[in-house]
Amino acid sequence: MKVAVLMKRVPDTASVFAVAADGKSVETGGLKYVMSPYDEHAVEEAIRLKEQAGAEVIVLSAGPPETKETLRSALAMGADAAMLVTGAENAGPRGLAKALAAALKRMAPDLVIAGKQAVDDDASQVPERVAELLGIPHASVITRFALSGSVATVDREIEGGSYTLEVPLPALFTTQKGINTPRYPTLPNIMKAKKKEITEVGVAELGLGAGDLAAGMAIESVSLPRQTRLKKIIEGEPAEKVRELVRVLRETEKIL
Amino acid sequence: MSDKLTDMRFIRFLLYEVYNVEELTQYPYHADHSRETFDMAIDAAYQLAREVFWPNYQEFDRNGAQFDGQHVQAPKGMHEIWRHCKEGGWFAPNISFDDGGQQFPMSIFAVTSFLFSCGNTSAAMYVNGTWGAAMLIDKFGSEALKAMYMRKLYAGDWAGTMALTEPDAGTSLGDIKATARKAPDGDYYLISGVKRFISSGDHDLTENIIHPVLARIEGAPAGVKGISLFLVPKFRVNDDGSPGEYNDVATAGIEHKMGLKGQATATLNFGEKGDCRGWLIGEANKGLPYMFELMNRARVFTGIQAVSGASVAYQWALQYARERLQSRDVTCRDVNSPQIPIINHPDVRTMLLKQKAFIEGALGMVLYCAKLADRMANSSDPEECENLNLILEVMTPCCKAHLSNASVESIIQALQCFGGAGYCEEFPVAQLLRDNKVFSIYEGANGIQAMDLLGRKVAMQAGAAVRALMMEIGATLAEAEALPALQDLAQKVQEVQNEVIETTMTLGAVGMSGQIQEYICNATAYLELFSQMLMGWQHLKHAIAAQRALDSETGEAPFYRGKIETARFYANTVLPHAVATARMLKANEYTALHYAEECF
Ligand SMILES: Cc1cc2nc3c(=O)[nH]c(=O)nc-3n(C[C@H](O)[C@H](O)[C@H](O)COP(=O)(O)OP(=O)(O)OC[C@H]3O[C@@H](n4cnc5c(N)ncnc54)[C@H](O)[C@@H]3O)c2cc1C
Repeated sequence: MKVAVLMKRVPDTASVFAVAADGKSVETGGLKYVMSPYDEHAVEEAIRLKEQAGAEVIVLSAGPPETKETLRSALAMGADAAMLVTGAENAGPRGLAKALAAALKRMAPDLVIAGKQAVDDDASQVPERVAELLGIPHASVITRFALSGSVATVDREIEGGSYTLEVPLPALFTTQKGINTPRYPTLPNIMKAKKKEITEVGVAELGLGAGDLAAGMAIESVSLPRQTRLKKIIEGEPAEKVRELVRVLRETEKIL
Repeated sequence: MSDKLTDMRFIRFLLYEVYNVEELTQYPYHADHSRETFDMAIDAAYQLAREVFWPNYQEFDRNGAQFDGQHVQAPKGMHEIWRHCKEGGWFAPNISFDDGGQQFPMSIFAVTSFLFSCGNTSAAMYVNGTWGAAMLIDKFGSEALKAMYMRKLYAGDWAGTMALTEPDAGTSLGDIKATARKAPDGDYYLISGVKRFISSGDHDLTENIIHPVLARIEGAPAGVKGISLFLVPKFRVNDDGSPGEYNDVATAGIEHKMGLKGQATATLNFGEKGDCRGWLIGEANKGLPYMFELMNRARVFTGIQAVSGASVAYQWALQYARERLQSRDVTCRDVNSPQIPIINHPDVRTMLLKQKAFIEGALGMVLYCAKLADRMANSSDPEECENLNLILEVMTPCCKAHLSNASVESIIQALQCFGGAGYCEEFPVAQLLRDNKVFSIYEGANGIQAMDLLGRKVAMQAGAAVRALMMEIGATLAEAEALPALQDLAQKVQEVQNEVIETTMTLGAVGMSGQIQEYICNATAYLELFSQMLMGWQHLKHAIAAQRALDSETGEAPFYRGKIETARFYANTVLPHAVATARMLKANEYTALHYAEECF
């Protein structure tokens, strides 16, 4: 069985972020990059499958050449091989999905696993688009995965509960936290990862042109979250206070 | 709050931009490595430090190692830490592939141990102690001992210790009383004696614990020349390698300490029932030289441990200083204006920068030493090796003693930034301070390090070690002088270097005249002076790398400018103290020496 994992290289969210001079992007100098945390769960799930059922795990990413470092971390967790698609760096979710789908067509995996979202732009749509382009079923935000023959049984997290679904392979799933605990890279695996292959493919080689990769949207501006603390003290009887608090959260802050 | 334990950007700067550790991959032993494997190892260690070691840090303080009258339980979280270290191969990063290691250079191993110590220094000691015990067997043990014990230790299957200290023999190891009597019918000795303060001395982490023990073979000469090194397992080992019969190593108790409460610092009774077997490591009566060969390396690691505490405390203080709002700017008269983050107060800023300058210089010192050790281990040129060894010899007591002294001062500065909150245990800073104090005591108390520097290292081979070091410093000075922006810094370092040379000559004359007590009585001050020169020199090396990066406009200008300004702060605020110390040392100051005991 062949399992493909979609992985994205993203800035470590513990970094200090600043808006770049153009006002439309994030300042990247000095940022540290890591594997998007939800993708770690995807890699872990694939490796567990490999350990249990003997799958071949290939990690796939589209990004700049430095993405190889991040792919290497996935290899150090135990993946067997990796592929990097270059030339789709500025494509946005739609173009990125096309590039990844084209690479997956070549790979012909039985199963595709991805993180439920990448923590840089939080677009939460690339894996689903990929599944659509490949014409395979997909289930998102899964917290359990079990395989029996060529049917996967998964739990999908939904508000306040969960669905259990049976999905015939080939199919695509996106992982939610809680599905597993990603393993730490070990020194022996780091040394082994060095010897594993990372194939590089350009978008042109995959038959994609500029039109395919057009972002389809333009970023108007980027801003940092509001930093100031607005203090408001609610007075009154406990019952009134609660009512007022809920109203503020709902109407003013729009949190509820 | 802060889950940042150190500045990883600075560590990469040191490794790749100042010390160019990538060049070590040219040596056959490290040929399978590259910057990529180095980075991955460091990242993996940092991840473990943050996610596995650190979450247990305060818990270890509250619920430390326990003794039930017979057995010791390691803190609960230690089991998980041990498991991760075992799975990750962290007991043998630098060891050969053949022996189960990954052949990383010491320079990288030094960083990964630093990171583990940042995460939880008590925990890191269980791991490092095991590595140390294995190294002793590796270097000096017979093939049979290696086959039976060493690989199990490097794999983290079993744990190891280092058992030197006795109730009446701490500093004075020549007074060790533990004895070894050759068994009439076997290849082993019967060991008996009490060892005290043994780190990781007993616990429930592994099925066996291996103690390298210093003891005196019956009839051996008195003093340091009659001490041998034995391997004493807690459980004897069966032919199939499994632990067998109990080997009469009893735990009498564990210490209730000021800090490091996660550590089981044990008193061990060997041979209470007359049935404790030990196997000689190497030759008889060579135990101390063997031990010291390893201890020399361990002393640099003690420096690393010390800086790790300072690093974590600084990261917490920095974040607190950015968030704590208190008072207004000294020039602000508007009482209704909001209070400002305390990092804006000049005194707080100074406290922060003092810490940063210490940590950066200190990390420079230890990584410089690690790189020396790497070059020594790999070089095939005996002359080069001897030269590197001499430099390492003089720097080692300074790494051990200066860094452990100054790290406590640095953490005090961090604690001060917190005000009253620092004195309370909610934040980890008070614990960091308590945990850190021991580094000036174990692995040879700092006073002893000072005497080692002045009494042995400075004098060795008619001053050859100091000369070799001064040549290295001279080369850095010449590099700096070629960069106009750094000339002021170079001058200040050179001034202290001159003071060290003059002081050494003045003291040398005292020593030569036979006034040995006078010669040695200010050894600690001499070590401080000497170490401040080393720190200033390291800062200068960093400044050179930073200036070159700025000149070539590779980006990250604030980082590099910050680096140079840190070096300048050290040169301007610390080095003048070194000059004052030198003046005192040259003035034949012996008040304490001649102070009559009845006057105390
Ligand atoms: C937490 C902890 C962990 C430890 N772990 C280990 C371990 O794993 N294995 C092990 O074997 N030991 C261990 N030790 C013991 C440690 O190495 C000793 O405590 C240390 O060597 C000092 O010995 P001492 O305590 O007997 O002090 P002493 O030797 O009594 O020294 C007391 C003071 O007198 C000074 N002094 C002594 N002699 C001289 C001299 N000749 N000239 C000048 N000053 C002198 C010392 O510098 C010191 O300040 C540990 C200790 C602690 C606290």
